[in-house]
Amino acid sequence: MADLADTGSLQVRNVSKLFGTFRAVNNISLDIQKGEFLTLLGPSGSGKTTLLMMIAGFLDISEGDIALDGSSIAQTPAEKRNFGMVFQGYALFPHMSVRDNIGYALSVRKRPTSEIRARVDEMLELVQLQDFADRKPGQLSGGQQQRVALARALCFAPPVLLLDEPLGALDKKLRVEVQEQLKDIHRRVGTTFIYVTHDQEEALSMSDRIVIMRDGAIEQIGTPQELYEQPVNQFTASFLGKSNFIQQDGKTYALRPEKIDLRKGAGHAEARTSGVVRSITYFGSMQRVIVDASDGTEIEVDIDVWRNSEALNEGDTVDLLWKDEAAVELQTG
Amino acid sequence: MQAFTRHIHPGWLIIAPLMLMVIALYLGPILNILWLSVTDPEPGLSNYAKLAESDALIRIVWTTVRICIITTMFSVTLGYSIAYAMVHCHQRQKNYMLTLLLVSFWISILVRTFSWLMLLGRKGLVNGTLENIGLIAEPIAFMRNELGVLIGMVHYMIPYAVLPLLVSMQSLDTRVMDASRNLGASSTQTFWRIYLPLTLPGLVASTLLVFILSLGFYVTPAVLGGGKVLMVAEYISVQLLVTLKWGTAAMLAAIMLTGVLAMLWIMSRFMKLSTVFGGAAR
Amino acid sequence: MHDRQFKKEMLQDSAQAYKKGRMDRRTFLALCGASGVAMSAVMAGDAEAAADHVVMWNWGGQSEECHGSAIGDAFTAKTGKGLKFDTSGPLEGKIKEMVDSGNVTADVADADLFNAVSLGPTGHLEPIDYSVVSKEKTLPGYALEYGVSIILYGYAFVYDTEAYGDNPPQNWADFFDTAKFPGMRSLYKWANGSLEAALMADGVAGDALYPLDMDRALAKIKSIKDNSLYWGSGSEAHSMVVNGEVSLGMVWQNRGRNIENDTDGRYKLVNNQAMAMPGAYIVPKGNPAGAAVMDFIATAQEVPAQLALLDCLGMTPSNPEAFGQIPEDQQPYAITSAMNIDKIVYNDPDWWGKNGGDAVNAFLEAIS
Repeated sequence: MADLADTGSLQVRNVSKLFGTFRAVNNISLDIQKGEFLTLLGPSGSGKTTLLMMIAGFLDISEGDIALDGSSIAQTPAEKRNFGMVFQGYALFPHMSVRDNIGYALSVRKRPTSEIRARVDEMLELVQLQDFADRKPGQLSGGQQQRVALARALCFAPPVLLLDEPLGALDKKLRVEVQEQLKDIHRRVGTTFIYVTHDQEEALSMSDRIVIMRDGAIEQIGTPQELYEQPVNQFTASFLGKSNFIQQDGKTYALRPEKIDLRKGAGHAEARTSGVVRSITYFGSMQRVIVDASDGTEIEVDIDVWRNSEALNEGDTVDLLWKDEAAVELQTG
Repeated sequence: MQAFTRHIHPGWLIIAPLMLMVIALYLGPILNILWLSVTDPEPGLSNYAKLAESDALIRIVWTTVRICIITTMFSVTLGYSIAYAMVHCHQRQKNYMLTLLLVSFWISILVRTFSWLMLLGRKGLVNGTLENIGLIAEPIAFMRNELGVLIGMVHYMIPYAVLPLLVSMQSLDTRVMDASRNLGASSTQTFWRIYLPLTLPGLVASTLLVFILSLGFYVTPAVLGGGKVLMVAEYISVQLLVTLKWGTAAMLAAIMLTGVLAMLWIMSRFMKLSTVFGGAAR
Repeated sequence: MHDRQFKKEMLQDSAQAYKKGRMDRRTFLALCGASGVAMSAVMAGDAEAAADHVVMWNWGGQSEECHGSAIGDAFTAKTGKGLKFDTSGPLEGKIKEMVDSGNVTADVADADLFNAVSLGPTGHLEPIDYSVVSKEKTLPGYALEYGVSIILYGYAFVYDTEAYGDNPPQNWADFFDTAKFPGMRSLYKWANGSLEAALMADGVAGDALYPLDMDRALAKIKSIKDNSLYWGSGSEAHSMVVNGEVSLGMVWQNRGRNIENDTDGRYKLVNNQAMAMPGAYIVPKGNPAGAAVMDFIATAQEVPAQLALLDCLGMTPSNPEAFGQIPEDQQPYAITSAMNIDKIVYNDPDWWGKNGGDAVNAFLEAIS
């Protein structure tokens, strides 16, 4: 792969985007390391795509600055930024063959035909589409199109690759498969990936770091593990995985369902609370039990089926136990 | 009988009466014209022989083809720019432009034709103004000649050229253009390599529409050509209504029909016509 | 042909049965559908029995009003029958088509006399009944078997008095002389009148025009082609002059007065060598009103109708009785008035009826 050792870090400095008086992106600052796989995660309307479009150069920055390796690119037009991009729906050129799609970036840079040919072959191999070089995009499956889009975006060895919900159009099974391929390709090319999605599972399984966004602002940045284990607020906690929220001494704590121990019967010494089983849902690898706690709240508990062989029924009285560190104190608001 | 029903879907039976009607009402008159062209005034190919014998007929056909080609070129080029502008301007301006476009559809061809005379005629607004400010001594002959016919026809045809292009441009996925820019293509490169090829079906549809409609032009050449620009449609009408040479008229109609069909056939060699007429591109 | 006739008769019987209530509407419509005939057509054909009106086929516009007041009122007073109009313009091809289709809806067409020569022998016209219509009430030679001239119109020309003030053009020779009279001129696009004018300009005497020497006429036409525009309708001829596009304009003489008025007298009509064209009434074969239409034609020949047509449409009378009664202010514009009649030449409908088609085509080919 091309040598990208020295380039690919991005600095987002106090960036805002205004549509009229509406702030779609509000004063965001973010440092992206070269070679990093960074995911912008958030519900629709959180500003993640707007931010990506500003990085790509399709949208002007209203306030702030974006820099590549320390030098501002705010005034550089999209076609001069040399960022690869995989679009939502792929935006392949329907009238060109797979080969011409992938080679487009080199061809508009007027590189010699032989070089383009060799490089496209390399990319075809990378995305495992050697046999489809002469097909038109319309003759490919969704997964294959997705790979063409990826190869096209990577063909000119961009320092940064932007991916805008690239797996949105695929069915669930294929999505998991492609996630693996994407991660693998990321490892091999070493390009900085900035990945936009609203799918928390995707974000958790692929990213080095995740930026959780809401209403144009960043809620929390961290590795998947940090975000999962140490959510700073209710939004993060509930957006990434499931969480119970416990009120205690005027503070709110997030408590993951799988971190609660459920014991049948009442009166266990370390019991934090007790309740009655309202429902049990079987998920194969685990069971989700909803307990009506004695204080009137509702608590979800995930239990391993095989470890809890003892039969549990709706209406059973149970005690709930957890360790201190399992409950994470949240910022209010 | 069983073999018959096995091969023909019963659904056809339901639409059969309609299809027969279409065939009778559409193909019938066409066959009648073809028949007339080889039977009137006497059986044989004498009408077609006139094409070879008469320089005048060839000249009329050639004038028609030449004017139609030039009209099509200008209408489609201007139409492309207008459609492009409409697609890429703000919604309000776009509605405004679309209204103007549709209004010009509703204005009768006679009114439009005579408006050009008032504007560009010998004593028209333009010549009058230019003479008054002393730019020209003699009026410029915009009208009553082939130039006049072209101006009138292009003006009339532009809305027809715009609509298929507008549809084609509006249905384009704009992300494809973003993708091209993102991959480093300049605006010019994006236009020639992506935008134009992707709007090609619309361009072809527009060209065919304008060219075929132009072939049937009658009023505009008659008036703006000062009687000297004789096109096939007018000539056919004269043969039908005035000189009663229906065989000649039928022959010319048959030639035009064949010409149009041949054109469609040649087009179909290069692209799937269904994409031109709005089918799915593959 | 027999088949069509049979169907029509069958349907006419049915139409009467339907009216009397013997046949229900659905059966009648089914019959019409089976014969491929629109109901309205049958009902129109049914008028033959009643014939309470005649249908005149003309060019609409002012002529509808004028024909009504000039002929229709007198006709109704005389016969009790009404006058209706079809204003779609009775071009030769349309008459032929109407008769060939077996669906004749007009009784009398306001056409040219040469149409009677070309359409009569082919069986598309009813002969004129000269026991009702008078041969004396038109010019000699203009009462033909299949049509009779009711009015005359003429090909004359107007000129720009500002361009040629002191030495105005007098005749067709001047009209074609671009050296002596520079400027654009306009001619009639369908050959008629233009060919005769060209021959007279080339020195052929007005009474020795026919048969037309086509080659000679076309050569003359072509000689001024660069200075010529060609018009296809009276209004176009009018606007070419009024908009100042031409300095010399061939016009239908009945437009002369309007042109002089519209240009405040700048353009002036010249009737010398005007070509008198016999406008004629002809009757499509199998016309719905039948013989009643002859009364109508006879009414149109009467002097009051003739003078009313002149007054209303500017069409010159063709009935010699009316010539002397043309009002003084109309005389300069009426080609058969005392001041013009000796200077005009006469169109030969026979030649045009037999050669018109070829002549029009040759002319079109020459000017295009």
